[in-house]
Amino acid sequence: MNHQPPDITRRDFVRAASCSICLTGTSGLCSALKKMLRPSIAHASNPPEHGSVKEVMYYKKLEGLKIECGICPKKCRISDLERGYCGNKENRGGTYYSLVHSRPCAIHVDPVEKKPLFHYLPSTMAFSIATAGCNFECRFCQNWRIAQYRPEQIQSSFTPPEKIIRMSIEKNAPTIAYTYSEPVVFYGYMFDCAKMGRLKGVGSIMISNGFINEKPLAELCKYLTAVKIDLKGFTDKFYKDQCSGELEPVLNTLRVLKRTGIWFEIVVLIIPTLNDSPAEIKNMCRWIAENLGKDVPLHFSRFHPMYKIRNLPPTPLKTLETCLAIAANAGLHYVYLGNIPGHPAESTYCPGCSRVVIRRIGYSIVENKIREGKCSECGHPIPGVWKQPGSLAL
Amino acid sequence: MVHYKMIFKRRDFLKYIASLTSAIPPLPSIFSIADKTVFAKETGNRVVITKRPGVFSSPTIVSPEIVNSMLSDGICLLTGCKTPEDAWRSLFKLNERIGIKINSLGGRKICTHPELAYGVAKHLTNIGIRPDNIIIFDRLTNELKRAGYKIQKNSSSVNCFGTDSDYELTPEFSGTIGTCFSRILTQNCDAIISIPVLKDHDLSGVSLSLKNFYGVIHNPNKYHDNGCDPFIADLNCHPFIKNKLRLVIIDAITGQYNGGPAFKSQWAWPYSGLILGRDPVAVDLVGSRVIEQKRKQNGLPTLKEAGREPIHIQSAAKRKLGTGNLNKIEVLEL
Repeated sequence: MNHQPPDITRRDFVRAASCSICLTGTSGLCSALKKMLRPSIAHASNPPEHGSVKEVMYYKKLEGLKIECGICPKKCRISDLERGYCGNKENRGGTYYSLVHSRPCAIHVDPVEKKPLFHYLPSTMAFSIATAGCNFECRFCQNWRIAQYRPEQIQSSFTPPEKIIRMSIEKNAPTIAYTYSEPVVFYGYMFDCAKMGRLKGVGSIMISNGFINEKPLAELCKYLTAVKIDLKGFTDKFYKDQCSGELEPVLNTLRVLKRTGIWFEIVVLIIPTLNDSPAEIKNMCRWIAENLGKDVPLHFSRFHPMYKIRNLPPTPLKTLETCLAIAANAGLHYVYLGNIPGHPAESTYCPGCSRVVIRRIGYSIVENKIREGKCSECGHPIPGVWKQPGSLAL
Repeated sequence: MVHYKMIFKRRDFLKYIASLTSAIPPLPSIFSIADKTVFAKETGNRVVITKRPGVFSSPTIVSPEIVNSMLSDGICLLTGCKTPEDAWRSLFKLNERIGIKINSLGGRKICTHPELAYGVAKHLTNIGIRPDNIIIFDRLTNELKRAGYKIQKNSSSVNCFGTDSDYELTPEFSGTIGTCFSRILTQNCDAIISIPVLKDHDLSGVSLSLKNFYGVIHNPNKYHDNGCDPFIADLNCHPFIKNKLRLVIIDAITGQYNGGPAFKSQWAWPYSGLILGRDPVAVDLVGSRVIEQKRKQNGLPTLKEAGREPIHIQSAAKRKLGTGNLNKIEVLEL
């Protein structure tokens, strides 16, 4: 571990954190806990100059000063002075620049369980960052005031990768989480932080919609320690109508993650009447079992009305429990319910002896009976990342 | 109603104005603004093109005096009023707060000329509208600065600033659009004058008045698919825009017929004109025809052949935002 003193003061950190926007993930605690865990929302009165533009890593130059972005499957073709769908990258004279590299608009320290990642270093903190922008526009976006905004519309602070690493070390967070908005659209920043973090013994987790091209994903996985994918639904119609996205590229991302061997978990936000049909959930669970294996943790999370969907109620508990039963029938070993604090399905059960191996209440770990990656009662292996990978040990 | 196209010489124009003096009964000395507004509505589908080759006092410098004269003549012909003051009064009430939405994206070389925007503001103050009730605005303060505008906020003179981060906190919906509007539009303006630039656009074919309002929403980048259609039309249906838009003036002093929205010198030309109207669909249709004609003269394919026909204009017409048939638009050229 590098014990070099950070070049930011505690005051800097508090200032950065207080000016950030930290919003709840797709699953979380009750509102009281959410309030405790999130700083206030701040809108910039004077948006910063974006002097720290950096050339985008994956794109093609085309005729007439146009470019084609290669980060995500949208493959935006962008004219001079225009931006892609994500809104945070701009073509300037035929060169494509990220306007958010080193410009996080949210900095916060969260329990890793909030992401949620339940099989990854339980009870540790994740130094969480986000920038403006997203390559989807989910009508139910839970973090739309950063994900659906352009960089000029929200406050950000210049925080280069080396500063992020130092801040995470100072906060005793073994992991940096790229989260809240959509890290695929701040790929270059995430990549540089993850690469530098690996050298300094800090892990990196990507909390993403999975809408990323295979080549940048494979390259990034060399430096990540875990991934959480939001699987929005299991029909292309849902992806198209509700998210402005596509299903198949996300499924391909999941296949690539499986092939790569990196630890990953899946979250599905269940929205009443839109993606909650038992048939759809059944197809999804069957696909996961067949293509990714039965040990992939699957979290069904409760929807709350937000952004453009404000006419639907929060997901009924019964619906979520139906999803839970369908997933169990499909043979999936680790199925959780999110945004239902205190529900038994927040805890991890051993597939061997059915006993609780990690008991959770909200983001808190009440009891952890995993020893050396196994159930302490019956010795059944419980897959996950239970200690910092050797090459990353602090 | 008889629809016709006319090419006016300056002399014809003076005759036309003189004829109005005799044809129109004298207005009462203390006239009703409402009556005059009704009068102006009768010219609703009229589009006026004013051209002055001498508007450039040097290859890059625009004469404010000539711009002012173009505005005066154009607004009179558009409204059928005898004097510019009467014309502006027929469109705006004295206690209204007026937003002038310009286009500054392309920088100094292909933006709404400050001489024109400030010229419009001057005409408004001439009729008694308070300067601090006039806001020249666009998406970003920095873009306004780059385009040569002087930033003034909370000033007793004409204000000029960008929306920056000041958007409404909850989204509004209009057809396929769901967005947070600029609070300059929603909170600070009773009426809007749209002053776009006559230019080509890589996605929507042209970027004129209808497209200009992508600069008042927080998420324009989400509405670029399918040539921005039907998004542009749906956006313009929102009451914030539809009910506030009173006048469109396309800055056609410098036009660009290909390679937009950024400035490309090889495709820019001095059209030396303004295109004025009260019907945004009609104005955009006439503006797009000017661009098409210039493309043809220079051997370029039509916008349709280039794969970017400005279909949003007809979508706007279908939504009854204006006249989408050139034969039903009264185009007067001066």
